[in-house]
Amino acid sequence: MDEYHNGNEGSFNSEEADNIVKECIENVVGGEDYSQSQVNKWTASIVERCLTQLVKQGKPYKFIVTCAVMQKTGAGLHTANSCYWDTSMDGSSTVRWENRTMYCVVSVFAVAIA
Amino acid sequence: MSDQLKDKHQRRERRTVKVPSDGSHGVRVKEATIRKNTDSVSIVSSMDELGHHDENTRMVVTMENTYQTAPHKRFPVPAVTHILKDVLSSYLQQEKYEVEWSQKMTKTICEVIRARVKDLMIPRYKIVVLVHIGQQAGQSMQMSSRCLWDATTDSFACYSFTNSSLFGVATVYGVYFE
Repeated sequence: MDEYHNGNEGSFNSEEADNIVKECIENVVGGEDYSQSQVNKWTASIVERCLTQLVKQGKPYKFIVTCAVMQKTGAGLHTANSCYWDTSMDGSSTVRWENRTMYCVVSVFAVAIA
Repeated sequence: MSDQLKDKHQRRERRTVKVPSDGSHGVRVKEATIRKNTDSVSIVSSMDELGHHDENTRMVVTMENTYQTAPHKRFPVPAVTHILKDVLSSYLQQEKYEVEWSQKMTKTICEVIRARVKDLMIPRYKIVVLVHIGQQAGQSMQMSSRCLWDATTDSFACYSFTNSSLFGVATVYGVYFE
């Protein structure tokens, strides 16, 4: 296990963010089936909840949360991200979730302030 | 199915210098593989880390106060949108969706976009690039994002491209470092 020697609160804790995000997804689309009319509401809701929960941590970070919900039809999807930032303080976390009828991919990027 | 990304995060080494560095990650949604290499174990979503093998031999850098309250040059949304349009069109124009090719292409496009945005030389801005490539199979899809930042200094640019067999979406977020 690596030791973290940061002067301030510490670098971004991706595990904690993972748990927060998983919980938010479960709460919003937990037992639902994919529905074209509701998906807009769902993505907005997931993203907002994740953001509010992350902010409650009280850390000096700017957050970017993205959510993609896709219907399961056997189609393929690839996602990649590339970041130019300070690796000691900034971090990201991606959570992939699925149920019988849809995929949900949520990414959180945390960028430190000063 | 377990959704845990474990050792990847514990693997992050101690870094005590404040200089920007690049890192890229790719996530494959369809294929759940377990890959073990010397650095990390990833489960379900395979995450590749490129260029993340820095040594712990950097010096501590203390930055002086700049007395600058706002950025001199803001994030140029139209210029970045143009870059995205350019890159996506040139890489995806006549292509057909294939699994292996798409996986590589997503990462390549990501790196290319990041390099070109860096070339714009926008000082004190951190960049996050997101690229999605997917198959056109009559499915429905929704992507949304929300950001907690300073709306006067930070912004984003995005562009989406489609042809008959695939679609590609690229988003770039620019965040000001105070």
